[in-house]
Amino acid sequence: MNDLNAMCSEQGFKNSFDIAVIGAGPAGMSAAITATEAGARVIVLDDKPRSGGQIYRNVDASPLKQPEQLGEDYLKGAELTAAFSRCGAEYLSGVNVWHVGDNGEILLSENGETTRLTARQIIIANGAMERPFPIPGWHLPGVMSAGSAQVMLKSDGLVQDDAIFAGTGPLLYLIVAQYIRLGVRVRALVDTTPKANYFDAMAEIAGAFSAPEMLLKGLGLINEIRRAGVTVYKHAHDLAVIGEDKMQGLRFTSGGNTQEVQADHLFLHQGVIPNLNITRALGVEHSWCEQQLCWKPKLNQWGQSSLEHIAVAGDASGIVGADGARLMGRITALKQLQLLSLKSVAECQSDAAADLQKLQKMQRFRKFIDRLYRPIDLHRIPEDDTTVVCRCEERTLADLKQGFELGGRLPDQLKGQTRCGMGPCQGRMCGHTVSELLARWRGDRVADVGYYRLRSPMRLLTLQELSLFSDLTPSNNPQTEVKS
Amino acid sequence: MSAITTSDVLVIGGGIQGASAAYHLAQRGVSVQVLEKDTVSRHASGVNAGGVRLLGRHIAEVAMSKEAMQRWHQLDDELDADTGFRARALINIAADEADLNTLAQREQQMHGLGYFHEVRLNQQELRERLPFVADHCVGGVVSEQDGYAIPFHSTHAFRRAAQRHGALFNEGEQVEQIRRVGNSWMVTTSAGRYQAEHLLNCAGAWGDLISVMIGDNVPMSYSAPMLMITARMPHFATPVVGAVSRPLSFKQFENGTVLIGGGAKGFADRANNRTRLDYKLIANGAKNAIDFFPIMKTASINRMWSGLEGYMPDNLPVLGKSPRAENAYHAFAFSAHGFQLGPVIGEVLADLVTTGESRFDLDPFRINRYDRKVL
Ligand SMILES: Cc1cc2nc3c(=O)[nH]c(=O)nc-3n(C[C@H](O)[C@H](O)[C@H](O)COP(=O)(O)OP(=O)(O)OC[C@H]3O[C@@H](n4cnc5c(N)ncnc54)[C@H](O)[C@@H]3O)c2cc1C
Repeated sequence: MNDLNAMCSEQGFKNSFDIAVIGAGPAGMSAAITATEAGARVIVLDDKPRSGGQIYRNVDASPLKQPEQLGEDYLKGAELTAAFSRCGAEYLSGVNVWHVGDNGEILLSENGETTRLTARQIIIANGAMERPFPIPGWHLPGVMSAGSAQVMLKSDGLVQDDAIFAGTGPLLYLIVAQYIRLGVRVRALVDTTPKANYFDAMAEIAGAFSAPEMLLKGLGLINEIRRAGVTVYKHAHDLAVIGEDKMQGLRFTSGGNTQEVQADHLFLHQGVIPNLNITRALGVEHSWCEQQLCWKPKLNQWGQSSLEHIAVAGDASGIVGADGARLMGRITALKQLQLLSLKSVAECQSDAAADLQKLQKMQRFRKFIDRLYRPIDLHRIPEDDTTVVCRCEERTLADLKQGFELGGRLPDQLKGQTRCGMGPCQGRMCGHTVSELLARWRGDRVADVGYYRLRSPMRLLTLQELSLFSDLTPSNNPQTEVKS
Repeated sequence: MSAITTSDVLVIGGGIQGASAAYHLAQRGVSVQVLEKDTVSRHASGVNAGGVRLLGRHIAEVAMSKEAMQRWHQLDDELDADTGFRARALINIAADEADLNTLAQREQQMHGLGYFHEVRLNQQELRERLPFVADHCVGGVVSEQDGYAIPFHSTHAFRRAAQRHGALFNEGEQVEQIRRVGNSWMVTTSAGRYQAEHLLNCAGAWGDLISVMIGDNVPMSYSAPMLMITARMPHFATPVVGAVSRPLSFKQFENGTVLIGGGAKGFADRANNRTRLDYKLIANGAKNAIDFFPIMKTASINRMWSGLEGYMPDNLPVLGKSPRAENAYHAFAFSAHGFQLGPVIGEVLADLVTTGESRFDLDPFRINRYDRKVL
């Protein structure tokens, strides 16, 4: 009873799943498919009501009359979600995972109740989140992320007429194109990709040609937006939202001139970064990635982290995109199957060989994309004192500067000084900004500054939810029983 | 090997007991060296619930606990520090007739011994003091002088006061070997060697290991009591709350957050300084809190943690002279209620070192109280 090991062996794994997969996006789904095929008892946990993840959200139940307008890539998800629903993995949708332990314990909330389960191996595939875009006024009502525009579209079929889209990156152009195809009026596209990025990206152009079809897809979107007659401002910087209590317009510099565009709605986007809350709370090692300007869990090519039972796949591991995520999910699952003795080392190697190669090729293209759409410093590391950094606790850059002067040199110290990062999002929104700000103020590398130390519960959890507690063990579904 | 550091007294353990002992000794002009394997206040003394509780103490502890309570009320002045101490009535709630009977018996016993600080409350009095208590609660008992303090700050307050009087604290030094050489104690740590006339074992959940090095065996166990704290809530409870027979205790701080304990224990891995929560048990704690205070249903939990603590089978500490070795003293295994005693334990230990005796009856706390009687 007193001993940790006793707990893990006696109570822990008798009734546990072989593999728990957190996240039902392309990485999680393909991991689950691969693992169940080999006979593993798999459970998949996702906080959305339907599988598909961010990219394939609601692909099998779209509220739109003509979902094909969202593009071919979106429809490709239908085939994957169908294979996933047939694969025999147990699947809990609409659940919030709030604790993952290095002993294989997972706690989650479902319909206001708490469930505990254990798994021998855990694959974290909870995807990416949008990079924060801390400009003056970004906290005002009317300003949202472009990702949330897409969620509204895919989940509820809702759109916003006459909005401004601002930022950089393929996802931004895709959403604008999806809007246009649906006949929604777009006020302007304010593109913040700096001119210099085009030259810098040339150095990686060989990588781009390693995947020419992807390069063409990107160019096609921009042409489509131009042809539709949307005003496009190029190389914009110094963005600031106009308005007191709510957004009224956007001010920025483009082509050497200060521009102002009036609108009630603004969708911001400057790329995506891994969703770290689970891997950070678990305590796996992370490193700062200069290429993608984000923290990533340290992983080997099989997605294995610094903790024995924990693997990470898909965008949660570093941004790889939907196709890359799908490959990684499979590769990661193959390794887990080997660890569970459901595949031999040789089988694991040969089954994964082709995918590993494809993934490597994609990573070269990724390098090009990352270079081209690298967000500028000013849009990541705010300089205007009034800019809100922590939206939960409404802490501005001026508040943080003061905290730094009072000795807040590490993210956790700054949090203690200012409450920045103490709100319900646990620093998900401000973590990267704070790491980069402190690095600049200290004159150090971001890697030396580190990140917040996170803890469970990772989500809002009420006393009532915790009090309604039950354990979940694998059901005796013959389909998922281990083959001998 | 490095030179030997000498002092009158060596204190093993930088928790509240070690820091308080160092303070009381140094104040009397005794030279003190504290050895702490991690950092001061890193364990139970820094992460506990901060309950400064006289209510419901075991009879054997009441006299010391009363003395400690008086000290708490002036501690900030005495130590010239901010321990975060707040005087708050502490109420234990009776949930049924059986609880009321327990309280009646307790009252008779306490009055018989001349203790009158615990006062019974009927249902209406309970409701007046705790308007949000659940209807099924039938009464309770209150101690007016109790309160709470911030554990980390309190332990460091003792440490700094001790340092002002010349006590030395070495952190990151684990005691690995203890020997008796002539009339003194020789102690080897991970980083150096120490010599002293007197040795104090204030090693908390590791107290049994130090005891064995000194030559005393003790049936101590260790565990990891769990706590959780909520986000800010509207103010609903001024007194600190416990229960007569249920595992429940909580306090609402001035900023609105509520700290919930109750004694449920997680898993302790003391060799690695680690603990793990038992979520099923902590869920039960949440249920108890809601049963007694339905208003807490929607409180959102901000953080859960646990700390390592040593326990004796009778839940009383080991406190007093070593029966086998000269000039060695124990103060450990406070069984999850040693924080409140901190201010007085230092005095007891300082008395033992400087005068050879204590004004309190320490017989119930003998380390060898479980030794089998010789037939
Ligand atoms: C979660 C929790 C809640 C609690 N709530 C309350 C409460 O509300 N009210 C109350 O009165 N009490 C409470 N307690 C109990 C109280 O915290 C402890 O009884 C008290 O802090 C014990 O103090 P200590 O100095 O004996 O032990 P500790 O604080 O554990 O200090 C002992 C120190 O000795 C060090 N040490 C051990 N071995 C060695 C070695 N070989 N070499 C060098 N150093 C060593 C350790 O690292 C440690 O720092 C609670 C305890 C816990 C864990």
